[in-house]
Amino acid sequence: MTENESPADIQLVAQLEGHDDRAWHVAWNPKRPILASCSADKTVRMYHYHSTSSTEGEGESKPVFSHSTTIPTGHAKTVRSIAWSPSGKTLATASFDSNIGIWAQEDEDDAEDLTGGNGEWECMSLLEGHETECKTVAYSAGGNLLASCSRDKTVWVWEVHPDYDFECMGVLMEHSQDVKCVAWHPTEEVLASASYDDTIKLYLDDPSEDWYCFATLAGHQSTVWSLAFSPDGRFLASGSDDFTVRIWERVQEHQWECVEVLEGHERSIYSVSWGKGKATSEGSLGWLASTGGDGLILVRELSITTPGESGGKSTLSDKVIARLPSAHDVADVNSVVWCPRDGYEDVFATAGDDGLVKVWKVHTN
Amino acid sequence: MSGEAFNPNPIVFATTKSSRSLPPGVRLNSLWLDDGDHREEESDDSNEAEAIDQDEIFELIRSISDPEHRNMSLEQLAVVSAPQITFDQRNPDRLTVEFTPTVPHCGMSTFIGLSIRVRLLRSLPHRYKVDIRVKPGSHQSEHALNKQLNDKERVAAALENPALLEVLEQCLSTVGQIADAAAL
Repeated sequence: MTENESPADIQLVAQLEGHDDRAWHVAWNPKRPILASCSADKTVRMYHYHSTSSTEGEGESKPVFSHSTTIPTGHAKTVRSIAWSPSGKTLATASFDSNIGIWAQEDEDDAEDLTGGNGEWECMSLLEGHETECKTVAYSAGGNLLASCSRDKTVWVWEVHPDYDFECMGVLMEHSQDVKCVAWHPTEEVLASASYDDTIKLYLDDPSEDWYCFATLAGHQSTVWSLAFSPDGRFLASGSDDFTVRIWERVQEHQWECVEVLEGHERSIYSVSWGKGKATSEGSLGWLASTGGDGLILVRELSITTPGESGGKSTLSDKVIARLPSAHDVADVNSVVWCPRDGYEDVFATAGDDGLVKVWKVHTN
Repeated sequence: MSGEAFNPNPIVFATTKSSRSLPPGVRLNSLWLDDGDHREEESDDSNEAEAIDQDEIFELIRSISDPEHRNMSLEQLAVVSAPQITFDQRNPDRLTVEFTPTVPHCGMSTFIGLSIRVRLLRSLPHRYKVDIRVKPGSHQSEHALNKQLNDKERVAAALENPALLEVLEQCLSTVGQIADAAAL
């Protein structure tokens, strides 16, 4: 299939400058029109966006972005990752200084304001405990749990209490090397972690109130950098330093198996993101985006062709629906994240080593 | 860093003259001037394009100081050499720099690899993607070493460590100096 035959193309919606150093990560506020980014420059930048209708009356709206605020954070080192709470009111920052910052808008009016993040963002809490760099922070779907991971090989699970009080529920020391990423299942309190030890681990909260690892997914030949659950929660995608994306299926409640190994990248894959997309076929599992050191963005539509029978693996088909080489020119792309809000299923943002944050839209032909 | 010396008595190698600083017609390892042999010169031109690129990279890293023996360069200790720099045939912007630790248990190897990476990061145009590896068979923890030298996140975090950065800057402060002044 030649490039021209892709069913869709990727168009630039906005190019957001401002970071003085590489941009590591982006996060879309799930409730409000705010896009946040974080960087090695130790700041978090927030952008407000609103939709405009196309003058041609195609009904296609193209969001317009403007910078609303910059949080200096006060972290002593790189801010590596950020995560919004499901309510959209709180932002967590994960830093190489080993701490996690919890931020909210002090002014009640600002917090209720459904438009931009224009007010002052204050540090409501500082979660200490990791011994070395914090790599990823993530809220569970219900918003009452926060997970973090670090080069210290551990995964921490925190319970969110009122007044920004966080209680550590577990320190999981299952990996033998740095933990690069943690991701929560979209509906259940199941946690996944990806590591420099080439494996993925899955964790549950035991009825006796202890978090434990119930599965280890091996198969990648090198560091696993990024994880993304499918929107329906039945599949997990992982991106690795071995240049592949693997798809794992939940064949039984506590059993996940690899059903697909996707090639197409020429260097380490730093980020994967799985969104609902604008499904073009029945049985579609949504749109999976991947990117990394080769600067290429790939958007794939995954579908089930043959469902697995009782505990067996399904057969999937994958189609590259759009590809964009050199998305950040010669710079590595560190992060790709689909917008989670209704009406924006074809929009995603990227962060690159050039310090830029870019917003893109997939146009299906 | 520990006070243990990994290699107290290193073998010191003679440095090569920079190939670009030689008078025209003079070749290394040759006693005679090549006069009037144009065919040979032409073929050398095509090789020279590649050789210059390899040499350019080598020029950048040859004078990095060894962390354990600060008055010696990586070139003098035969840790780096021009032939150990290779380019991806399909993409000239991707290169691999191989280095040879002086002893198989060298604990300074990570640091040396990091100094090479930082030097190239700061001096090459952004389009270059560099892989750093130890010469196969030259180190007891070859895989682990290669893995961390090529993990972008670990490298970035290491460079935010003030103590490490200070020593790194000291080892990089000698770059740009040509070991043999007579070569100029």
